[in-house]
Amino acid sequence: MRKIFTVGILTAFSFELLAGGFQINQQSHKATGMGGAFTGLCIDASSIFYNPGGLYKLKGHQFTGGFTLIDPHVSLQTDANDNIDQTTGNATPFHFYYSGQFINEKLRIGFGVNNQFGSSSSFDDDWEGRFIVQNIGLQTFMFQPTVSYAILDEKLSIGAGFVYTAGNFHYEKGVPLASKDNEYGKATLSGSGNAMGFNVGVFSTPYKLEKEDYVFSVSVGLDYRHKLKMDLDNGNVDFTDIPSSLRDKFPESTGFTSSLTLPAVASGGIALTYEKPEKIKVDLLYDLTRTFWSSYDTLAFDFENADTPDSKTPKNWEDVFVHRIGLNITYKEFISIRGGIYMDQSPIPDGRVSPELPDNSHTGYTAGIGVNITDNISVDLSYLRSAFERPNASLTTEGFTASYRRIVNVYGIGINVKFGENKTTQAPSIE
Amino acid sequence: MNNNFITMKNILSIFILSLTVLGCTKTQFEDRVKNTGSIDVSNYVSVGNSLTQGFQDNGLYAETQAWSYPALIAQQMKLANPNMPDFKQPIAIGNGSGYMHLEYIDNEITPIRPDDPTYGGPYREDPTWPDWQDYVKGPKYNNLGIAGIQLRNAIGLDNNQRIYNHVFLDGISTFNIQGNPYARFLDWGDSPLLFGTPKEYVDHVRESNATFFTNWLGNNDVLGYATSGGDEGEFTIPFVGTFKASELTPVAEFRQKYDSVLSALTVNGAKGVCATIPDVTSIPLFNTVTLESLGKDIWIYENDGSTKRLAEQGDLILLTALEEIEDNGKGTENDPLPHTLVLDKAEAKRAQDHTILLNNEIKGLAAKYGVPVVDTYEILKTFESGMKMSGIDLNIKYVEGGLFSLDGVHPNPKGYAIVANEFIKVINQSYNANIPLIDITRYRSVIFPN
Repeated sequence: MRKIFTVGILTAFSFELLAGGFQINQQSHKATGMGGAFTGLCIDASSIFYNPGGLYKLKGHQFTGGFTLIDPHVSLQTDANDNIDQTTGNATPFHFYYSGQFINEKLRIGFGVNNQFGSSSSFDDDWEGRFIVQNIGLQTFMFQPTVSYAILDEKLSIGAGFVYTAGNFHYEKGVPLASKDNEYGKATLSGSGNAMGFNVGVFSTPYKLEKEDYVFSVSVGLDYRHKLKMDLDNGNVDFTDIPSSLRDKFPESTGFTSSLTLPAVASGGIALTYEKPEKIKVDLLYDLTRTFWSSYDTLAFDFENADTPDSKTPKNWEDVFVHRIGLNITYKEFISIRGGIYMDQSPIPDGRVSPELPDNSHTGYTAGIGVNITDNISVDLSYLRSAFERPNASLTTEGFTASYRRIVNVYGIGINVKFGENKTTQAPSIE
Repeated sequence: MNNNFITMKNILSIFILSLTVLGCTKTQFEDRVKNTGSIDVSNYVSVGNSLTQGFQDNGLYAETQAWSYPALIAQQMKLANPNMPDFKQPIAIGNGSGYMHLEYIDNEITPIRPDDPTYGGPYREDPTWPDWQDYVKGPKYNNLGIAGIQLRNAIGLDNNQRIYNHVFLDGISTFNIQGNPYARFLDWGDSPLLFGTPKEYVDHVRESNATFFTNWLGNNDVLGYATSGGDEGEFTIPFVGTFKASELTPVAEFRQKYDSVLSALTVNGAKGVCATIPDVTSIPLFNTVTLESLGKDIWIYENDGSTKRLAEQGDLILLTALEEIEDNGKGTENDPLPHTLVLDKAEAKRAQDHTILLNNEIKGLAAKYGVPVVDTYEILKTFESGMKMSGIDLNIKYVEGGLFSLDGVHPNPKGYAIVANEFIKVINQSYNANIPLIDITRYRSVIFPN
């Protein structure tokens, strides 16, 4: 019998990794301990990220660096399987910031490096959803040279930085085509790209009450980080274990182009600070953050090989708000105890919940401590926990429904070094 | 500093201690409670045709018979009730009847029949197949599916019908007339043609003493007509009469016989599930070879073959006509396609309308006996526009659609797993059972050639 039918096999390449949980909000372990509310407070160099407008508050030369250990645990239950565990390993993003005082009291020049977005997920090789995702990982590095200037001293300062981003991702999934030798094939995609954006902030302390034995002040901040559209022009996909009769569609290797948009983030924050010098300092913080996930509307893969079907998946995510509340109590300028809470809305609507990064609106809790080891060196520890359950959540585009449980513990350690605080002119070279 | 250091140590210890308490990371779901609800699975019996027997790729062979939908249902029931006895099937040995496969020839994916002289080789009929009865006849089986059987063959309403059914199922060894090769695992008694007492299918059904049953009979009462291109397959048994092997089973006869089968199944109070007949236009045998796919005009013989005309939109050219068109040059004005290879528009409408009538009978009678129905007619319709399950694209297209085997009529292993899940869903819902569904990704679709 001759063949006249065409084998028009489609394989969609789609993932939901750029979801709420993909945003790494632990960019300072002081901030993390306080629910991530840091737009209206500037007490270390991580304001390079949270609000470069506030750098005026940092005297001399200050360095903040830190590591984060993200320990995610995700389990699924489907109609066919009682329990499936993700095999995802831990992630260890880092951050480093420097803010230096130059020329005069008003000018700060700084630099930041961090991983603002990133995540990975993996599953056992033969798991039920292997034709949706097997392994996936996305990593981004942001480099941000920053300038800040206090126009009206405490009343108004501004800051801005260019954000250069380099990112890479890999994505592996099964291709449901059986041959005599293999039960199914596999597609492994990888790509990298970069993007330019910016981060601008405004900071102000409009109210300050200075009494004999205490100081009370109110600070506010606004920050906007622009979206980052990463073009992946040099992507590559390897198809393995494909029946040779379908090699024209799924060659050993071919290129692709795609793009990923990391969303814009706007935050407004307020900080109330009460301080009895050398005795106690209390900061109460509130941040409202809007993440513009809706800019990420389509995930498309355009393959170099003409016979490989291109893949295009609409995303239609929603912009979300996050509320953050934080509290810091510093005792005798030596030790700080921190606590916080945040309420995170999920950008993923019902019907779009995917196994690699199931997300749900949830409340997270944070705690932290900071210790001033010497006058110039301090250490911060932070802990964040978020847990949620999302029953019977579907990914309709893939025909996959599961109940999800996710617990994420995040541990952080950061170190701060400062010097030249009292020198208001002629800053020492930092090299 | 010393004091401070002690304070710091204390605070750190408290902090770390609270992390270990808070840091519980158990997300695992407990195993769900599984049970078979109000049904008794100590003797699950499946009744039906080729679909029930596990037929696919135009053959009955050991590998895929193990994945017949009743075997898959039983496999899942056993997860809910480990004491359930093994589900026994009359399994063909090795290649059994032989089966179709795909080859990659001249850059084309080509379906190959088992008797193909060049490529059939490893897929051809098993050496044991001619004597299969010697291997399987005797034991009592849970799976009573017989490829090719129509509901109307299950019981004879008069002596002529009994003779016909017996010839169809058992043949007449005296005259060396072969019966249905797939029915050889059952004992059919003596031929009424020779004044013997036959054993009818409904007798086997009754004697199975099922405690639970699935009944998916009726497909061939329409499909026989459709796959013959609307030819009613008239033939004569000498001295007995004329029969129509592939006519659409009349509704009244269907009603009476379906009632008899359900009555035989429920005689001991067994519970069960019935299933409807899918629409013929939902299967690749009828929707693969089209005027668009051929890209040329095709002449066909209409009705009984007396008139010829150009094929139009709505005439369903059988998949099996492809070889006649491509290799033997049929379909021209001088040499139109035989009417047995085309279900023309009017015939297709008859088959479709008749399917709806018979399905109404199935639903009505099932309701009468309090038996829930798996509406495979509707389920297959939902696949017509394509859908995704666990990331796999599934539709009703031939080869690429992922549901059907190479004969274009019967599901492939994944298709059968989906069928089994649909039965399980109805069982769970109707009988308060908690039988786990099948992970369909564990079952393959067609095997593509290298």
